[in-house]
Amino acid sequence: MTPAPLPEPSDQALVAAYRQGDQRAASELVRRHGPAVARFLYSSGALAADIEDLVQETLFRAFRGLERWRGEASFRSWLFTIAGNLTRDAFRRRKGREVISLEDRDLPDRADPDAELAAGELEDRLRAELGRLPRLQREVFLLRAQEGTSYEEIARALGTTPGAARVHYHHAVKRLKELVG
Amino acid sequence: MSGCTRLSDRMPEVVHGRSRWTADEAAHLAACAECRRELALLQATVTLGRRTPRLGDAERMAATIERRLTGIRTRRIGVQRVAGLAAAATLLLAVWTKWPERPVASPAGPSRPAAPALVPLPELELLDPAELDSLLQRMEQPSVGGSTLDAPGLGDLEDTELEQVLATWEG
Repeated sequence: MTPAPLPEPSDQALVAAYRQGDQRAASELVRRHGPAVARFLYSSGALAADIEDLVQETLFRAFRGLERWRGEASFRSWLFTIAGNLTRDAFRRRKGREVISLEDRDLPDRADPDAELAAGELEDRLRAELGRLPRLQREVFLLRAQEGTSYEEIARALGTTPGAARVHYHHAVKRLKELVG
Repeated sequence: MSGCTRLSDRMPEVVHGRSRWTADEAAHLAACAECRRELALLQATVTLGRRTPRLGDAERMAATIERRLTGIRTRRIGVQRVAGLAAAATLLLAVWTKWPERPVASPAGPSRPAAPALVPLPELELLDPAELDSLLQRMEQPSVGGSTLDAPGLGDLEDTELEQVLATWEG
């Protein structure tokens, strides 16, 4: 009989281990949360070529300011807050120029190329529209729709109330629904 | 709470596979075009997330981040050291300027830069050529073993030599 696998350490345990000098804990945090941060950044309009650098910058800022994470919101939600600040700063530097690239998508082979193309176009329009949403609406929507985060958790991460998070989400849905007519 | 609101609240859980529609919810969804559009929006958003470019090796990224953090820590320590030295220098300066035994400037006028200390030097131009030669010869004599321990003291000099040295010192 094989022994039951050990439960995965919590984010708090990994952060504590990293602060004690355990570099493997940092690698585990990157492995655990990097892809979600990448999804968040990509869906917010970041260029595909910039994703790796932006994820690294997000995690760098997080590790540099670990004492500011008090565990009230989840580590991932806190990372999204930092990533949101990064995208906002990048947007300011670009002064609102459009950033969605239509040619950097790597389309996989599928049986129905027309349907694939239509899906690709929808995603491009969705990314563009997400990039135009007010920041809180975009962040609440992505946390809720893409990560399935509860309103309570979103509220803790973004410094708002669950009721306000719900309102932001529904405003975003109302605007984005037009794209999927 | 309307059927649409209830369904909207449940959609992320169902889309992420954490829950399934109940029979009532499925019936509402079949009849409500707005809810179907919202569901399609969420599915498109999840698909968008799946098309995100893949990241490189996590360990490599963590190592890069650690190198950047180490660089910051090193610079911070350097700045702290410089700040410490500056503080120490400021303290020394403050002690030096407030030291009670430090000679105070003359009240008779504006202070001038301190002149170099005057050490009585022999007025060589006043010496006779013979005295000058004698003095130079003494100066040029190599000391034994590179030390002055074996050099004759003033008590070993003859009277004429002693007078010459004293005359030299007195100018």
